[in-house]
Amino acid sequence: MEVVSENKNEVGKVSSNAGADMRESVVLKLDGEIGWLELDLKGEKVNKFSTPVMLRIKEVLEEIKSNASIKVLVVVSKKKSIYIAGADINEIKAITTEEEFLKAVEAGQGIMNEFEDLKIPVVAAIHGACVGGGCEFVMSCDYRIASDDKSTRIGLPETSLGIIPGFGGCVRLPRIVGIQQALPMILKGSMGGIIDMRKAKKIGLVDEVFPAEIFEEKVKTYVQKILKNGAKKRKKTHKPKGVMNKMIEGPLKGVAFKKATEGVMKQTHGHYPAVLEAIKVIKDTYGVKNRDKAMKREAKGFIKVAVTDVSKNLINLFFMTEDVKKASGVVGKEVSPRKINHLSVLGAGTMGGGIAQLAADKGIMVRMKDLTNEALAIGFKAASAIWSKKLKRRRLTKFEYKQKMDRLSGGLDYAGFGITDLVIEAIVEDMNIKKAVIAETAKNCKDDAIIATNTSSLRVNEMAEAHPRPENFVGMHFFNPVHRMPLVEVIRGEKTSDEVTATIYELSKRMGKIPVVVKDAPGFLVNRLLLPWLAEAMFLLDDGMDVVKVDRMYTHKFGMPMGPYRLMDEVGLDVCVKVLKIFRASFGERIQTSPILEKLNNPKRMGKKSNLGFYKYGGKKRQEFDQSVLSELGLGSRTNPLSEEECIKRGIYAMINEAARALLEDKIVDTPEEVDLAMIMGTGFPPFRGGLLRYADSVGIKNIVSDLEVYESKYGLRFKPAESLVKLAQEGGSFY
Amino acid sequence: MSSRDVVIVEGVRTPFAKAGTALKDVHPGDLGKTAVTELINRTNLDVDLVDELIFGNTGSPPDAVNIARVVALGAGLPLKVSASTVHRNCASALESISVGFEKIKSGTMETIIAGGTESMSQSPLLWNKEHLKRLEALGRARTPMAKIKGLMSLLSANIKQVKELATTSPMKSTPFKPRIALVEGLTDPFKGINMGQTAEILAKEFGLSREEQDQFAVKSHAKAVEAMESGRLAEEITPVFTGKNYDKIVSEDIGPRKGQSMEALAKLKPIFDRKNGTVTAGNACPITDGAASILMMSSEKAQALGYKPIAKVRGYGFAGLEPERMGLGPVYATPLALKRSGVEMKDIGLIELNEAFSAQVMACQKAAASKKFAEEKLGLSTPLGEIRDEILNVNGGAVALGHPVGTTGTRIVLTLMKEMQRRDVELGLATLCIGGGQGGAIVLERLN
Repeated sequence: MEVVSENKNEVGKVSSNAGADMRESVVLKLDGEIGWLELDLKGEKVNKFSTPVMLRIKEVLEEIKSNASIKVLVVVSKKKSIYIAGADINEIKAITTEEEFLKAVEAGQGIMNEFEDLKIPVVAAIHGACVGGGCEFVMSCDYRIASDDKSTRIGLPETSLGIIPGFGGCVRLPRIVGIQQALPMILKGSMGGIIDMRKAKKIGLVDEVFPAEIFEEKVKTYVQKILKNGAKKRKKTHKPKGVMNKMIEGPLKGVAFKKATEGVMKQTHGHYPAVLEAIKVIKDTYGVKNRDKAMKREAKGFIKVAVTDVSKNLINLFFMTEDVKKASGVVGKEVSPRKINHLSVLGAGTMGGGIAQLAADKGIMVRMKDLTNEALAIGFKAASAIWSKKLKRRRLTKFEYKQKMDRLSGGLDYAGFGITDLVIEAIVEDMNIKKAVIAETAKNCKDDAIIATNTSSLRVNEMAEAHPRPENFVGMHFFNPVHRMPLVEVIRGEKTSDEVTATIYELSKRMGKIPVVVKDAPGFLVNRLLLPWLAEAMFLLDDGMDVVKVDRMYTHKFGMPMGPYRLMDEVGLDVCVKVLKIFRASFGERIQTSPILEKLNNPKRMGKKSNLGFYKYGGKKRQEFDQSVLSELGLGSRTNPLSEEECIKRGIYAMINEAARALLEDKIVDTPEEVDLAMIMGTGFPPFRGGLLRYADSVGIKNIVSDLEVYESKYGLRFKPAESLVKLAQEGGSFY
Repeated sequence: MSSRDVVIVEGVRTPFAKAGTALKDVHPGDLGKTAVTELINRTNLDVDLVDELIFGNTGSPPDAVNIARVVALGAGLPLKVSASTVHRNCASALESISVGFEKIKSGTMETIIAGGTESMSQSPLLWNKEHLKRLEALGRARTPMAKIKGLMSLLSANIKQVKELATTSPMKSTPFKPRIALVEGLTDPFKGINMGQTAEILAKEFGLSREEQDQFAVKSHAKAVEAMESGRLAEEITPVFTGKNYDKIVSEDIGPRKGQSMEALAKLKPIFDRKNGTVTAGNACPITDGAASILMMSSEKAQALGYKPIAKVRGYGFAGLEPERMGLGPVYATPLALKRSGVEMKDIGLIELNEAFSAQVMACQKAAASKKFAEEKLGLSTPLGEIRDEILNVNGGAVALGHPVGTTGTRIVLTLMKEMQRRDVELGLATLCIGGGQGGAIVLERLN
């Protein structure tokens, strides 16, 4: 976005203490009465408030103050689709002490205050993403105008990183838009709190929105108008309209805060302190006239949550996902992925339909193949249901909806497979059938077409034997429900080529997923780690524990999105039983199953899909525990003899034990980061705990091993600590 | 410019469903899209190669006036691919093929998707003049009094409308009744008579009895049902998934009646000439929804891409005649097509002659065999040649399958070429009559 014309004078080159890079990153240009502050952080894709940038800005601010000819200041970004991306998260990550945090927050708040206190009005001309510190900055400006570009979005994602806005955002956003709008934005963070310009204009966060194509011209006109009107300062304050809003923003605001807190508690069970702290800070500062006092309160809140492990874990998770964005799926080599324009899906069930939906959503033409038209219809329905929801919520127009649906077609034969770049197989989990289908499919495809299997329990290498060109065969394991679970396990078979691995890795990202490359072994990574937990849950039933109680322990206390029994219902009880048996066969004594597994064979009780599992589904109410399951499994009345601590430890430690084997012994993945990322994205393992292995490290490997040894003596070989875990404990080491 | 062979690689259509039944809620753009998407998949076509999509359509849906472009984009053809809609009434989808033929033959283009789509179910109702006047008056009213007056006058118009709807025949135009686009479309604008009345004229001129016509209809149904049950029709059909949940699957034609009998047909009253008529809903084609498409290429291109085309287009012809005798159109167009293809009627091994009306097809058969007709009407010294029952519409015709007006031209070409393949027939003729007084015909040569 070229906003500054040639005839402007650059100033400030002589007096600067900053390095040349910084001088070029933050440039003040004069154009008559207008000062243009251009941001273009050298050597970085984004503009951010790092310490050197802030020092340089301070320097420039002094120049502005000393130059009486400047009547208005306009702040623009020279980046293509970024305005300001916020504070430097790397710096936050490096800070550990309260003193350092206080210094950092005060520095940031100080800069924002200085802009707010300038004698001349400041215009933020926003084109591109304006988030976190960037959003806090524009809120300290007098005027905010924005382009309507798709990339121009604004919001405060801090709570998603376990911190709160600390550069005055908690104070200024409620002032500008009111608490009814500010609370959800801040509490949702990057999970829906970042808004587009249509909304930003509507709630009064930006003053004007102009077409991106003529933004430059419009900015100039806008600034001229401000000059013409006397270059007045302005401090926007939200004025609620209507009695109801006036009450909520005024005398009844306590109710609004209470409701917000309740909502957060219900969703997070208090595991995310930053969100709660944000509410408290807003409550304590909303309407407070004394800025210093309000800022001090915000700083205090920031520090309180920034030093927590939760924040560190969430920031680590952020960097892990950032790493995935940069990665290719192949380590140590430059590999360029192939382009996927046409995708075929074998098996148009809920899974196949879900995969088809993901691809078509991203502009890929999709062909589904199944045995009957009725089966194809299920695929169409699965895809349309997801888009229909978005249509209802106005996230899609009816034209966009139709365009996406148009990309789907279906057939009973191999029509279209000759132009397909990738076939994803989502048919019945039966090795012989799969092998036959893979061989037949390969015959109907181009030689360089990739075939990927979405198997969850069968071996990729064995399937690859059926493919005449096994380098083009790979596993691509989605998790159910496909459109909600962010993980894709890319299973690299022995013969899978680098290019094919990179292609599937890239495609997963294009579909909005987080891919993790894993080796082919029973259960791959996530299911392998998850199943000991589910198996243990059966033993807990044997021991007299109550289904609802145990589920609650795992959700409320530990933070899992659902407890083991709910999860089994979700996956399907028949599937769980089948896979557990496969595991028992593959891994021997360390996977043991409770005798009640054999009784879990009622064809009407298959979990959510049959509306009956451990819980009852399909009614108007939320699912309800089904008492009859106990007698059906031959279980007596529930005595709940075990402590919450033991119930959680037995399940989680069983997973950690298996993770040690998977990572350290079988090398299914290379790093503990991959285990943690996969568990968080694939099972919803609580992100605030940083993942299974970070959690293990925080407990201490020695402690875990000694507990496992106790359980082993009590309950048998299934708890025998893995050799690698014992070794790690002996060395006093940790996974990270 | 070079002159070269033009071939048809493959074709596919949606099921044809009687208007108001299974496909009534499917937009004609979606019908077309379904056919073209399937064509692309069945031919594993690299869509970047397509030069143009040409589609026939007569209803011109108000929300998709160049429906060909809607079909093209819906089917995922690249933005750069141009698309045009062509209109020649009942032969619109033969027009699309003839235009494609010329563009490829001349060397202007290499690859064309031709076809047609029509939803007669979705044909609109239009405000009638008197009604419209009052609507406009209400719109112009400024003062409260004028507005009340305008509203009252509109309300009284609505009452008149209901009255006229209740007391007059659907084909009659009255001041307040909505104009039925479908009825007006099927009425000759030059002579003011309905298509059915043109069939009545032919029935009388050629002495075709009600019984003969009903027999023809029974045969058409029997042939269509047999073709359906043997799976022959299924080969050219791709299902349409419709309904909110895409769980209503339309995979067969809705039209052919198993066990259609003379007795059942005899019960129907003539609709176009109540007193002396012989044309009934039973021996005429039903109004229908459906789409069809074919892939056309220069033979060089098809060969280079490794395709085994089904047929080569030898030549085509369109001709005009009296609007009130439009049903005889095939007899006028066929000599042109034959001549341009360098063949004679006796060389033709298989014929698709669209069954707009049983009477009209039978009249064509008589005229084609008549020396007198050849001399007087066609200016030929010998008869055109016999249209034998054994090779005519062997899989049934529009009386059973239906006639989605803008689609049929491609449907008969598709059905013809598939059957030529099955029967190993060398030359085939597809021809139809055209509302307004025209005929169209095309000659195909089997390749693979």
